[in-house]
Amino acid sequence: MHKFGLRSTIIFLFLFVSIGGLMVLNMAFQAKQEDIHGAIERMELSDELRSIKFLSAEDSLKAQTVMREYDSAQAVLSISLGDSRVVTSVVLLLVMIASSAIFIVVIILISKPLKELKQATEQIRQGNYSAHLPETGIAEMRELKNSFNVMSHELEQTQNRLLVAEKELIWKDLSRILAHEIKNPLTPIQLVIQRLEERLEYDPQKVSDILPESISIISQEIENLRLLAQDFSNYAKVSQPTRELFNPAQIIREIVKSYSQDYEICLDLQDTFTINFDRTHFYQILTNILQNAIDASSEAKPITIRLYGERSYVVLSIQDMGDGIESKNLSRIFEPYFSQKSKGTGLGLALVKKLCDANGAIIRVKSKIGEGSEFTLIIESKTT
Amino acid sequence: MLEALGTKVFSGIVSLSLLLFSSFKGNDPHFGAISVRRSESFIYVSGSLQSAFENDFPSIFSSGTKIPIYFRIHISQDGKTLSKQRFSHTVSFDTVTGIYELDRGKTNELFRSDSIEDLIREVSKFNFAFPHQAHWEHLNIRIEAELPKVRFEQLNKQVDLMVLWKYKKPSTKAVANLRQLQ
Repeated sequence: MHKFGLRSTIIFLFLFVSIGGLMVLNMAFQAKQEDIHGAIERMELSDELRSIKFLSAEDSLKAQTVMREYDSAQAVLSISLGDSRVVTSVVLLLVMIASSAIFIVVIILISKPLKELKQATEQIRQGNYSAHLPETGIAEMRELKNSFNVMSHELEQTQNRLLVAEKELIWKDLSRILAHEIKNPLTPIQLVIQRLEERLEYDPQKVSDILPESISIISQEIENLRLLAQDFSNYAKVSQPTRELFNPAQIIREIVKSYSQDYEICLDLQDTFTINFDRTHFYQILTNILQNAIDASSEAKPITIRLYGERSYVVLSIQDMGDGIESKNLSRIFEPYFSQKSKGTGLGLALVKKLCDANGAIIRVKSKIGEGSEFTLIIESKTT
Repeated sequence: MLEALGTKVFSGIVSLSLLLFSSFKGNDPHFGAISVRRSESFIYVSGSLQSAFENDFPSIFSSGTKIPIYFRIHISQDGKTLSKQRFSHTVSFDTVTGIYELDRGKTNELFRSDSIEDLIREVSKFNFAFPHQAHWEHLNIRIEAELPKVRFEQLNKQVDLMVLWKYKKPSTKAVANLRQLQ
């Protein structure tokens, strides 16, 4: 088994059993045929009987001997025929049992490691690259398992390297964004402080003239810093959704009410739906997309929000007529820290995607440069 | 124990292979009902072997060679062996007169006939007696029949007659409560 491959072993075993079985069968037949032939020869009475003249007591004894031999030969013939039938059928049965046993053993030897391999492949598919197979069984299977183990080990190492590289990249991006976002409010604060210092040095009597404005600027920038911190915090702390049944049209109207004084928002909402969604998450998703639409649109151009049903789903569409998103950026807009806006952390749409995933909703985006963008939220409808 | 198990396995294989691959009929011997009686000092057991001597045996019995048939009796009580006995029936044939002779061994009882049918009927029957002890009460009686290997002197050839029984030793068990027996 160690030197020969599986195919050679199967062929060897097959030949051994089939040819060996036939040879044993033939040997048994030959032996029995010799017995039968010997018995038949003894049954040739004519010559011996012809030599007996039946004239004396000796002749009678001879005749008796010939008859006894004949009867014995007949008995032996009968037993030998029966014996040969028994032997051949037993040999055939043993050959059949041996062939079946070899077949079953070969099937087990092949199928068991294949099953192990299938399970290990499934683990790899699920991301567990540490899956390892014991290198046992027949030579081909040991080689296959060894190749698999080498592959999984290399995959694990590659995955670890990628994870390290990805983490490094994320930290670099994060540091860059944080530095930029913190520097933005710090610069006006620093300028205001410099102005106040100059006034105190050269014209202390008139400090009070610029004090309210300076305080306002500093407060505004501190508020910007607080919002920045809140954005990061929101993204990091997406809580487990607490789902409840509610009418989405009602919530949308409430949210839009606060925006509609300043912006033109057209509503086309069907009131007949109920969704099972985290109410806070729904609010966060809608305000984020709506704020993006407002930022992308000029004041004259309306934003359209539609709510309608499609099969067993509720579809929420938010469409703006802004600048649109370049097609190369469409696939990246839900990535964290990716932003096309001059101001922003790039966490808004990433948060939207995260919240959608947590609630089992699907978000899609369509956009054309110069015509605007449409964000579509697909949520499973619940009947009340 | 192992020998008995081996014999059973082998006879099973032979039966299965003959069933699948051969038209060989042979014989399927088995014991009929066993009768147990008792007297003051003896227990008598009698019965018969059935389907044991139909095929091929007429020519074997007619060969002139003495053909013995062995019976083994094992008597036990509560798993303890009380007695083991073996006796035989021997068939011989006179080729000149055409007379079959059956010697019932222990009983020294001889049966003669020129009819093979009568011989087969008689050779199938058996009865034996054995003395019983005072403490024997509940007996388990096991009877087994067996054919030997026989040498045909005229041909200088030894054959195993068990092939005619497909290597299966017929056996039977009987239970005897001596208090209830008369």
